[in-house]
Amino acid sequence: MSTEAASGRRRLPAALRLGNAGVVYALVLLVLVLTFAAEAQGRVFYLGPTNVANVLDQTTLIGLMAITTTIVLISGNFDLSVGAVAALGAAVCLSLADDIGFWPALFAALAVGALIGLFNGVVVQYFGINAFIVTLGTMTAVRGIVLIVTDGRTVTAPDGAVRDGLRAVDGGSWITPNLYLLAGIVVLAVGAWRAVRARQWRPPRILVPLAAGAVLVAASPVAIFTIRITQRTLYLLVLALLAAWVLRYTTIGRRLYASGGNPEAARLSGIAVDRYKVVAFVLNGTVAAFVGVLYAARLGSINPSALSGFELTALAAAILGGTSLFGGLGSVGKSLVGAFILITLRNGFNILNLGANWQGLVEGVVLIVAAGVYTISLRRGRTRRIREAESPGPDAPDGDGPRPPGPPGKLAASAHGGAADRKDG
Amino acid sequence: MVRPAERAAEGDGPLLLLDGVTKTFPNGTRALRGVSLAVRPGSVHGLVGANGAGKSTLVKIISGAHPPSGGVLRWAGRDRRRHTPGDARRAGIATIHQHVPLVPTLSVIENVFLDRSGAWRMTRDLRAEFDALVERLGYPVDPDAVAGDLPIGARQMVSVLQSLAAGARLVVMDEPTASLSEKERRVVFDAVRRLSAQGTAFLYISHFFDEIFELTDRTTVIRDGRTVLDEATEAITEGMLVRAVTGRELLAAGRAGGGEPDAGAPVVLRVSGLSSATGVRDVSFDVRAGEIVGIAGLLGAGRSELLRAVFRDDPSATGTVAVGGEEVKNSARAAVAAGIAYVPEDRAGQGLHGGLPIWKNISLPDLARLSRRRLVPRTADERARAERAVADLGIVTAGVDTVPGELSGGNAQKVVFAKWMYADTRVWLLDEPTAGVDVGAKADLLRLVRRFAAQGKAVVLVCSEFEELLSVATRVLVVRGGRIVAERPASSTSEEELLMLAHGLRTRRAAAPPSDPNEEEEVPREH
Repeated sequence: MSTEAASGRRRLPAALRLGNAGVVYALVLLVLVLTFAAEAQGRVFYLGPTNVANVLDQTTLIGLMAITTTIVLISGNFDLSVGAVAALGAAVCLSLADDIGFWPALFAALAVGALIGLFNGVVVQYFGINAFIVTLGTMTAVRGIVLIVTDGRTVTAPDGAVRDGLRAVDGGSWITPNLYLLAGIVVLAVGAWRAVRARQWRPPRILVPLAAGAVLVAASPVAIFTIRITQRTLYLLVLALLAAWVLRYTTIGRRLYASGGNPEAARLSGIAVDRYKVVAFVLNGTVAAFVGVLYAARLGSINPSALSGFELTALAAAILGGTSLFGGLGSVGKSLVGAFILITLRNGFNILNLGANWQGLVEGVVLIVAAGVYTISLRRGRTRRIREAESPGPDAPDGDGPRPPGPPGKLAASAHGGAADRKDG
Repeated sequence: MVRPAERAAEGDGPLLLLDGVTKTFPNGTRALRGVSLAVRPGSVHGLVGANGAGKSTLVKIISGAHPPSGGVLRWAGRDRRRHTPGDARRAGIATIHQHVPLVPTLSVIENVFLDRSGAWRMTRDLRAEFDALVERLGYPVDPDAVAGDLPIGARQMVSVLQSLAAGARLVVMDEPTASLSEKERRVVFDAVRRLSAQGTAFLYISHFFDEIFELTDRTTVIRDGRTVLDEATEAITEGMLVRAVTGRELLAAGRAGGGEPDAGAPVVLRVSGLSSATGVRDVSFDVRAGEIVGIAGLLGAGRSELLRAVFRDDPSATGTVAVGGEEVKNSARAAVAAGIAYVPEDRAGQGLHGGLPIWKNISLPDLARLSRRRLVPRTADERARAERAVADLGIVTAGVDTVPGELSGGNAQKVVFAKWMYADTRVWLLDEPTAGVDVGAKADLLRLVRRFAAQGKAVVLVCSEFEELLSVATRVLVVRGGRIVAERPASSTSEEELLMLAHGLRTRRAAAPPSDPNEEEEVPREH
């Protein structure tokens, strides 16, 4: 906070700046455009309960995958194998379910996913082979295993116990209570929690949620918005909340970011870097297998070439969410928003009847623009930082002694004045 | 020692003339305060100086990477103060860096003619030219070998060829032999002699005094950015060189702290039979509580590798490290758990997380203790610890939310110290803690090191500046070639002696017993 005050000109809080929250703005903008476009064309109300529920439901698989992919990316690695692993998970589950029962088969599918993740992690971390190459290899190999397991044919779940099992995993849906009321209560609770922690209620970070919550709760008898929420969406919400909590508030999260951001420094601080990175892979594999089962549950069958390119969509969502490909940077929430953007685009094309041919082009452009915004905002932040730091430098008294220890002039020098050279050259 | 005769035609003017060259960086660092030297055509000119004396800056100025802030820089009689690296190369100045920048995937001939324009990758003319160059150099190199596969010595030769191909009249060699074997050194020497006889001038930078004596015609010593000695090599003695490099007047400054070790204090750190694939060879030593053991040695003597192995971060290490009598397993995690703190040489790369705010950096090694059930960090405690560190150590920062990248070298180093200060640290391993740090922060850091010892910690300190080392250490181990070649109590040794030992200029004594007063007589000293 003191930095904000010191910089004189009032800037947006860090969390709301373009480089940080750009993906949220993009989603809001996209939704607004689609809403007005749909309205103008006289089609269904874009933000209506049915469509919102649809978008949520369609986002689930990509969203689940984007979450764990983000975790792998934060840990400084890369996983291309998840699409194939998901297909294998579904194939294993459906092929085995008839013989050993649905639940053991589901467990077997998850175990296979975890094992492939473990393999990826061990080969990458302990043999030191580049993650891109390793997972490119497992992607191909696992897709091959899917063909072997399924014998190249689509596996269909037999009726009876297996279908019941699939329905138990992914059949349910519920009508939510009024979302305005729910949101109001949550926001109020956050405000109240902050007020209790800080023992005051005047700062905006406490006052704003309290007021907003009160307004929402007060309006809830009039404004009613309920949607039908499917079971898979619930999985997404639970995993997202859990992952966000672990990453943000626990030592596990802190060490994961540290391991990805600077593995060397993390190791020298006594963190079991290799273990964290391997666990990220295992988690990714397990969730991939589960996503595969969910995919098959809806269709009741699995095609051996299903979910091809799925890993790239998940990566695209993570990148839209500002996750760094070099580790140490990223957030589950924003990756999820990235996934929503991708799905909203597809959904919007359908609603507006724009023709699927344009979809790939638009998605690709959006991805590049997003990456450009992040890169530029990051670069701008860096140059501004250097300028701020440099300004008091040159007019420092230039006596015979070296410069005074005062202004933070240099970047952390990589010993022997490396920074000075860099700036000059 | 065979000294080459003065080969340069004495009548000619100097090829390169520097007079009173100064360099001040935009951030106020004064790297050069007045360097003068003159390189004659066909001569081998030695340049000597301690780490941080300004040699690298000087090389950059000569090669055009930096403009000088003041003084005269003449090349073949013409003013060349405003030249760029490209100009310098075209004018005939070639620089060969210690780490040879060749494209490892291209062949030798492609590397040699890398900056040659022309549409074809390889023409017959180039091959003929290559053969002619090899003839001049007198060292056969296969033009089609892939550069990355060559041993370092041969790569040096390729970069010499590269500079010849560019028509170099002056070749600046920055510590060309630092990582070479004896045989490869010979090859470099022969090449230098041969080419200088043909008229190419060399500016030869080296830490190894024996090379300077063997190879050069004239030697310039710079210290603290100034020329302090500039003589024909024949007229220089080893003693003169050592004194010029270390600077006697600096000696008076040291020795303020470093109280005598308490002989009865318990041994905290015991290292025995430590060897590693990185070059540490059978190192054993003890450090008592309250003791500061300095590790002296030249660049590449294995100091950092030794420290790394003691921190158990070298999987190839054999031998044992025990803290308080308990052996530490071979992993950095076990070392941290045992209470060993490690301040690495490369602050930005190994010591700090550039993307995390200071408070997260400081709490990282001790995060479990700062967390509820070792799982949920108590942010308020973490921040309080960082605030305390900022106050305790006088870290100049806008706040604990700053990222370390915005701090100056000294302040960033204080953050690294703070990572371990409040944890359960019993042993400190410090690798060049004061490198790239300004004088004020350096004093602060050294005071901290003394404070750790006063608190009864065991401290091991690696430092290139022997004066500084002697000002805090209670005992000094001299490392050369990965071995401890001598041990001296700090009170009865001197910078000169350490420098001699580190250079291996005196007969090596295996596993030296505490120094014997007679030894002191051999050291040339003039107080």
